[in-house]
Amino acid sequence: MEGKEEDVRVGANKFPERQPIGTSAQTDKDYKEPPPAPFFEPGELSSWSFYRAGIAEFIATFLFLYITVLTVMGVKRAPNMCASVGIQGIAWAFGGMIFALVYCTAGISGGHINPAVTFGLFLARKLSLTRAVFYIVMQCLGAICGAGVVKGFQPNPYQTLGGGANTVAHGYTKGSGLGAEIIGTFVLVYTVFSATDAKRSARDSHVPILAPLPIGFAVFLVHLATIPITGTGINPARSLGAAIIYNKDHAWDDHWIFWVGPFIGAALAALYHQLVIRAIPFKSRS
Amino acid sequence: MAKDVEGPEGFQTRDYEDPPPTPFFDADELTKWSLYRAVIAEFVATLLFLYITVLTVIGYKIQSDTKAGGVDCGGVGILGIAWAFGGMIFILVYCTAGISGGHINPAVTFGLFLARKVSLIRAVLYMVAQCLGAICGVGFVKAFQSSYYDRYGGGANSLADGYNTGTGLAAEIIGTFVLVYTVFSATDPKRNARDSHVPVLAPLPIGFAVFMVHLATIPITGTGINPARSFGAAVIYNKSKPWDDHWIFWVGPFIGAAIAAFYHQFVLRASGSKSLGSFRSAANV
Repeated sequence: MEGKEEDVRVGANKFPERQPIGTSAQTDKDYKEPPPAPFFEPGELSSWSFYRAGIAEFIATFLFLYITVLTVMGVKRAPNMCASVGIQGIAWAFGGMIFALVYCTAGISGGHINPAVTFGLFLARKLSLTRAVFYIVMQCLGAICGAGVVKGFQPNPYQTLGGGANTVAHGYTKGSGLGAEIIGTFVLVYTVFSATDAKRSARDSHVPILAPLPIGFAVFLVHLATIPITGTGINPARSLGAAIIYNKDHAWDDHWIFWVGPFIGAALAALYHQLVIRAIPFKSRS
Repeated sequence: MAKDVEGPEGFQTRDYEDPPPTPFFDADELTKWSLYRAVIAEFVATLLFLYITVLTVIGYKIQSDTKAGGVDCGGVGILGIAWAFGGMIFILVYCTAGISGGHINPAVTFGLFLARKVSLIRAVLYMVAQCLGAICGVGFVKAFQSSYYDRYGGGANSLADGYNTGTGLAAEIIGTFVLVYTVFSATDPKRNARDSHVPVLAPLPIGFAVFMVHLATIPITGTGINPARSFGAAVIYNKSKPWDDHWIFWVGPFIGAAIAAFYHQFVLRASGSKSLGSFRSAANV
């Protein structure tokens, strides 16, 4: 898979790397690493595709919060857990919805639906600062509207049953909550990087059909693991939307965890993928 | 398949080529960053695997413990635990397939080593990285909730009441056979050719194999089929019961992997026979 120029030398490098197991036979690179995105790109402000992408992120995050928070409320309102879709059903709602929405918006905005993903991709120079800020604002607004619609359906139960807001559960420290958010977001953003890797696309013969599936699965799996700890944020827009509409002290007390944790996790994933897995800064040939 | 039929000139028309056996010792690969990157990738992947899966196990036990604030049907259920294991293997194999081959399991590494697809050096380094990653992953789980962790069994594998040692061993052997056999099928170059060289779906059947084996054998052993997973939990939990049964979770998976390697290489692909020239005259080799 990798020619000599692809590998970073540790010592002598006389022979090309043997083909990794499970990869299709490819003797030359048929992909090109896209150049780093400029920090500021004024030209995109005059392009409809920029605003279309922002609108797509808004709608996607709106639908995401609507489906997921409504599922959470359904579980909370049920007479007992056995009569509802349960915690696993909640995890499926989050993961399945990300799968569907990433699939729908991947070609329009890149299908982030998550400020942490946007931040990670920004650190990896895959989008401009202008676009990153615009996406994050639109994601937060979409999240607020999505949670708002859920409250509109059932104002009183929404307030009495926790509003789907993220907080650190009893029995856990804030440090544990922060750690869980960091590692959970690392799993998600690392999967996003792997799924969108230019090299991977070439290896899959440029068939991007299933890139959203592992991303959705990553969200599902992290929810299975960390719902008992924090209700699982790993998406600052999701946490913000529920916190704003629910608007109680204990939700705001813990809210910083759901921005600091995901952003640290995204940064670590960006570092790991760019520096260790792809070794992009160390490539001898660009 | 028509693809395997010799052309009119007597030449093979296959559009795939079996890679040559990997040498046992390949000192040259020690000089490449890609080896160390692969080892790092195996470490991180196994760390994340154990972190998510053991956290799911402990979380389920907390939420379903009706004597301590849990509720009936609380938590993600045993089904959710199986999904955690299978789903996590799916996404981690997906992420690391091109980096390290996406083993995340010493039994898979062992099976591929027996099939001459990885060198001894690489196999040993992968296994060490996997075990260390497993210990770190479970270490994170304990760090986040040490009292819950100890109270609810630490996610460690041990034989359940009502099953004897032989049963547990057999369950591990057959379970690992299912997994490693699926890995061999998913990575078979002949299959790649048949699927038009689009390997994007290879991780999915591997993840599903793990998921389904967990559905079947969680009641027996909590399902090891991954010595690193069993080892990581045993080290961090560190009680005598898991250690007493621990040998099952190395012997069983390694036997299962060996049987799968033999079955795929010598029965399904008959590559051993081909290399001996049993079925073809020398002129066609």
